[in-house]
Amino acid sequence: MFDGDMSSYMTDTDGTTQGDHAIETDGVEVTYSDGTEAVRGVSLSIPRGEFFGFLGPNGAGKTTTIKTLATLLRPTAGSVRVNGFDVESEPRKIRESIGYMAQETSVIAEMTARENLRFACDAYGVPKTDRSGRIEELLDLVDLADVADKQAEGFSGGMKKRLDAAMALVHRPPLVFLDEPTTGLDPKARNRLWEYFEAINDDGTTIFLTTQYLEEADYLCDRLSVILDGEIVAEGSPADLKREVGGEILDIELEDGSDARDRAADIVREDGLFSDDPAVDVTDGGISVTSRDARQRGPDLLVALRDAGIAVTGFNVRSPTLDDVFLAITGEHIEDDLPDEPGAEQATGETPAAAAADGGER
Amino acid sequence: MSSETEGVARTSNTFASDVWTNFMRWNINAVRNPFVVISSLLQPIIFLFLFTQVFGNVAGQALSGRISYETYLVPAIIVQIALIVASSSGIGLVDDIESGVFQKTLVTPMSRTAIFLGKTLSELVRIVVQIVIVLALGVLLGAEIKSGLTGALAIIGVAVLFSLWFLAFSNVVALATRDQESTIIAANMIQLPLLFVSSAFLPVNSMPDWIQVVATYNPITYGVDAARAIMVNADVMEVWNVTAFGGIWNTLVPAIGVLVALDLVFGAIAVYTITRATSADVQ
Repeated sequence: MFDGDMSSYMTDTDGTTQGDHAIETDGVEVTYSDGTEAVRGVSLSIPRGEFFGFLGPNGAGKTTTIKTLATLLRPTAGSVRVNGFDVESEPRKIRESIGYMAQETSVIAEMTARENLRFACDAYGVPKTDRSGRIEELLDLVDLADVADKQAEGFSGGMKKRLDAAMALVHRPPLVFLDEPTTGLDPKARNRLWEYFEAINDDGTTIFLTTQYLEEADYLCDRLSVILDGEIVAEGSPADLKREVGGEILDIELEDGSDARDRAADIVREDGLFSDDPAVDVTDGGISVTSRDARQRGPDLLVALRDAGIAVTGFNVRSPTLDDVFLAITGEHIEDDLPDEPGAEQATGETPAAAAADGGER
Repeated sequence: MSSETEGVARTSNTFASDVWTNFMRWNINAVRNPFVVISSLLQPIIFLFLFTQVFGNVAGQALSGRISYETYLVPAIIVQIALIVASSSGIGLVDDIESGVFQKTLVTPMSRTAIFLGKTLSELVRIVVQIVIVLALGVLLGAEIKSGLTGALAIIGVAVLFSLWFLAFSNVVALATRDQESTIIAANMIQLPLLFVSSAFLPVNSMPDWIQVVATYNPITYGVDAARAIMVNADVMEVWNVTAFGGIWNTLVPAIGVLVALDLVFGAIAVYTITRATSADVQ
């Protein structure tokens, strides 16, 4: 959709100021003045053109990391290079060459969609001759051409998000940061945003996306890092991470107490119903079985449980969620009530697992 | 800064264009919020009407008949406008912080100084426009600017000079509280009582001793006295008896001196606070 000359961003002109990496960080630490270690030694190497996902629960350090990369926070330790520029000595050059879409939607409510984009063009110093064309192009891209001259105040959440996204793209940055861009959006609005992000990535833009949703990362990203408590705990493609989980998950709700749950878990482990060695997790209301053939062998397990006199009140087969990935990687569930990062991430009121599961059967 | 050899296309920002961008942004903001603009003008106008009607006769006697109460009051109303508009500066900043637009502008390559300068200039334009309206209205009501058109321009200059310290104060409160309500309350709480315990509405000499003491240390006294001295073209300062400069300058020199000093002190605090808030230092 961008017919502009992206190659001018992509090529090294002198071979030294810019490598082939959009982002390179080494041992980044960010400690707030109250002692909170929000980021603890994050090292990233993100090649140009990649759609990179940064996955983690609320308060894991995603927003702090992204703010550090976008020059809003200075790292307490470690080095950061973005588009070949050092975050400490050349922040302005980084600001010129990145787009940043914050977690909280921010548009100027008093201005129309077009005026917001014009303000962004002015702020990023888009050459005067290019402005009008660029604005029309972006209004089309985010489907706001019809309401271009209406004040943003009256826009829906989804429309504001799209305008917000467009404002981050006016200067055609070779690298765009998207901090939980779809949190709080309905599925339709979310899918629409996904299309835009894929379109600009296809045009060569590097994208750094943070998300709580495995499904989103799975759909969009070439590569992921999973962050927990300020540290990267896993890296790889979405497929790699799912393999870590080792299949689909069969959740079984049981009527009886912990004794029945333990017996049910034993049946899964010992009866050999599943061809692989399934992981069994005893949950609050039953058990969760992770296996490559959870779908095929599930009914057999239900029969076996009935034969053992264990009453089943519900069951569900689903794709792995972020919570399952965490369980597989760390052996711990995501805590829903992790404290927010100071001044950074907002609680969404939504548990990551629940939100990820709604699209889990895709 | 620009270099053709850099891989990333250099933007065409200059300091002046950054100032202009933000200046226009806040102008649009004001125009699109006519209610805010009108109500910030309405309160001083109501004061002007009510005070001249209610206190006019009594106050006229306290003024020993040399000038009308309208003439006496207009400088106070002008200072009140400067206070109200200046206090909206911090409110706008908090609005921006709460809506995330503040952070959005910080991540652009615009100069930080230009972001605040553009916003401040827009507020000063609002102050000037509103003062012109009130001066015209005051003259219609019978107030007299004894120093003429030059005096009117000088009064506007005094109002701008006066507004700066409160504008800075308002931004400091905004950044300290980062809360809209607190910023509004802090501004209002200070504004009205300070107006009353100054030379704004009645001669200080007619007030109890303790108020005379408070008025001496009240910045509003100096803003009002400077504007009033120009308005009536005479030495009107009561809190200090300065005789060194002759005539109107016995008021203007000390009053403007105090205002400049206040502007410098509060301006420095604001610059420090803003620099801290816009820096990338982890807090």
